[in-house]
Amino acid sequence: MESNGGASSMDLETVPAEQKLGTVSLPLKPKFEPLTAHEMSGGKIQFRKVSVPQHRYTPLKKAWMEIYTPIYDQMKIDVRMNLKNRKVELKTRSDTPEVGNLQKCADFVHAFMLGFDVIDAVALLRMDELYVDSFEIKDVKTLRGEHLSRAIGRLSGKGGKTKFAIENATKTRIVIADSKIHILGSFVNIKVARDSLCSLILGSPAGKVYSKLRAVTSRLAERF
Amino acid sequence: MAASPSECGGVKALQKLRSAEPPQWLSPSPDLAEAARAASDHLFSSLRPFCPKSPFDRLLIDGFDAEQIWQQIETQTQPLVSSLRRELKWFERNPVEIGKGFGARRIVEERGKDLEVPDEGFEDFEEQEKVGFDVDDDDDDDGEDDVDDEEEEEERRGGGGIEDRFLKIKELEEYMEDDEAREYGDSKRKRRGHEEEEDDEDEDIEGLGGSGSEDEDMNARYDDFFGGEKDKGSKKKQKLRKESKDMDDYEDMLNDDSNEDDEPENGSDEGLTGDDANLGQPEEGTLSTHEKHLKKLRLKIEQMEKANLEPKTWAMQGEVTAAKRPKNSALEVDLDFEHNVRPAPVITEEVTTSLENLIKLRILDGHFDDVQRLPSLPSKGPREKKELDENKSKKGLAEIYENFSGMVPFLLSNEMITSFISNAFLNILIVASLLFKKICLKLDALSHFHFTPKPIVEDMSIQSNIPALAMEEVTICLSYVVQSIAPMAISDAAMLAPEEVFAGKGDIKDKGELTQAERKRRRANKKRKFKVVSAVANSHAANTIKRMEMKARSSTVSNAKGEEES
Repeated sequence: MESNGGASSMDLETVPAEQKLGTVSLPLKPKFEPLTAHEMSGGKIQFRKVSVPQHRYTPLKKAWMEIYTPIYDQMKIDVRMNLKNRKVELKTRSDTPEVGNLQKCADFVHAFMLGFDVIDAVALLRMDELYVDSFEIKDVKTLRGEHLSRAIGRLSGKGGKTKFAIENATKTRIVIADSKIHILGSFVNIKVARDSLCSLILGSPAGKVYSKLRAVTSRLAERF
Repeated sequence: MAASPSECGGVKALQKLRSAEPPQWLSPSPDLAEAARAASDHLFSSLRPFCPKSPFDRLLIDGFDAEQIWQQIETQTQPLVSSLRRELKWFERNPVEIGKGFGARRIVEERGKDLEVPDEGFEDFEEQEKVGFDVDDDDDDDGEDDVDDEEEEEERRGGGGIEDRFLKIKELEEYMEDDEAREYGDSKRKRRGHEEEEDDEDEDIEGLGGSGSEDEDMNARYDDFFGGEKDKGSKKKQKLRKESKDMDDYEDMLNDDSNEDDEPENGSDEGLTGDDANLGQPEEGTLSTHEKHLKKLRLKIEQMEKANLEPKTWAMQGEVTAAKRPKNSALEVDLDFEHNVRPAPVITEEVTTSLENLIKLRILDGHFDDVQRLPSLPSKGPREKKELDENKSKKGLAEIYENFSGMVPFLLSNEMITSFISNAFLNILIVASLLFKKICLKLDALSHFHFTPKPIVEDMSIQSNIPALAMEEVTICLSYVVQSIAPMAISDAAMLAPEEVFAGKGDIKDKGELTQAERKRRRANKKRKFKVVSAVANSHAANTIKRMEMKARSSTVSNAKGEEES
């Protein structure tokens, strides 16, 4: 309505001027308000549905409020959990400020479903340039049985220390789910973390990976 | 001879010595010693007249020991013995003289004292012989024979005036022949045979005669009995070679060989037979010096030719592998090749002492030749080693990225920058980078002194179009005054460019140089430009006026409307 009003007001402005003056004059520059997200999609509401795996059901229940709050309040996206389908559904509102908010929220929820913590996943909402990269161990090297188990053990380290070391050094978050590995972070950092993880899968000892990590991170830090 | 008492004593002493039995000599007895001394004294004095060169007149016995007495006797008897030997040899050759010598003894004794000069030697000779034979009891018989020989010799002598007791021509001739025989032939016989060959080619009788005359002179010698075997053997071979064809001659030779031992008379036959076989060909042993020399040369030539025909020794064959030469032969040959290596120094005591002295001096001076390590350049500060945290990070990812602590994402997107622009850290960074750039500029000016233009900062400044040198001088002077600013880099590039000084093209002419047409053209151009400019200005002015009018009207209209309505 505002836009129509605006248009009408615009017409009102221009016409009398023309009538009154009786001379040809250039019309005034129109002023347009930016389109809202709702209008951009043609006034339609959009949905996203993120399925919840079995093992994330209980953590979702526990962390629901932490998930709900930033989505609903800051992103202005409606969110609900469909228990029958076991899916989290997201819906735009009319006052959703950005077009990409919905996708961001969907990514956020999806990251949570992969296994990331809420506080880590929230970074996805806040920053544009963060991504989630996933790959499997079998993509790197075909390992079977014991070798696979040992590789997973090598990746995590004792009490997860290797994984944390990589996370801290590269400013990423890593989730190792059986044979799947997910990395959350910026593009460059993901690459560094992935390289370290791949070298670990291929069999290099942790000390070697650490030294490489140190070198790379120091170099990147110096560059700035 | 008057028998002096000393002589009697001497004779008695001699007799005493003779009578002494051998066992008595084993133990030293003074009686026998005294007797011996007396006897030797007597003998010495009796022999003294025969030795003209003896330094002692009497044998000095008193106070001298046996050795000294013996020496004295030696000095007397040595020349005496040699002369005696000579005489014996002479008598050997001339046995006739022995009888003569002895026969004429009595005559000589009578005449001896009258004729001293010519017969002195003779007298001495006689007396010596007499005395010698008196002393030696065994030789009494021989002494008589010698006297006979002497007699004979004296009779024969007569000769020419040149002959005296020293020079006997016949003896000289015989001596010469003997000498020649010794030099050129093995035996006198051969020589004789040769002579006979030369002489008796035609007539045998003369040879026989000749041989016969010579036979008388020839005495039996050792060679005739024992040395002849060798000669016989060689001669036989020669004969065989030369006369191998003639069997008759061979028989003759056998006959000759069998007869050779008896008398040398058959030497003539041998000579004849040998001569018949070899007409004109000289035998071995009778070659002249030149012929011998030639023979040697021929032998040598033969040897050398033989050696040349044979294959050379391995050392002369050029490139020789180990297979072609005998084993270990290279060790024996003195090989010559260049040694590129300096031979090892011979270590002597002096060398070692010199080295030690050098070492001591060096140690005292502390002057060593150690390799010194290059000092490592202090280029970089010690790097901060970042420790990897192996614990779960407490902060969330978003917070880490927002706080910008530690590792920074390589690419800062515009959104990120805008989201962080409020962050004070980033502001500070930007300010810091700008400051740093300024410092870099100043440092470059200090270090390089190459042209580094100022960063283009758009600000108004007075551009003075003067050369750089002048500017530099000014700045230098200023720097001395200010002493805080390094002289800034100045260059000619800051001066005005030519187009800035004047922008035009073509031939520039002054007003006075213009032609009429030129002047008209210039004026026309100026007018045209002016028109355009004025038209634009008018249009602008007209627009503004119009706008103002319109506004005025609109306001009046509204006012009018308002007024009308009310």
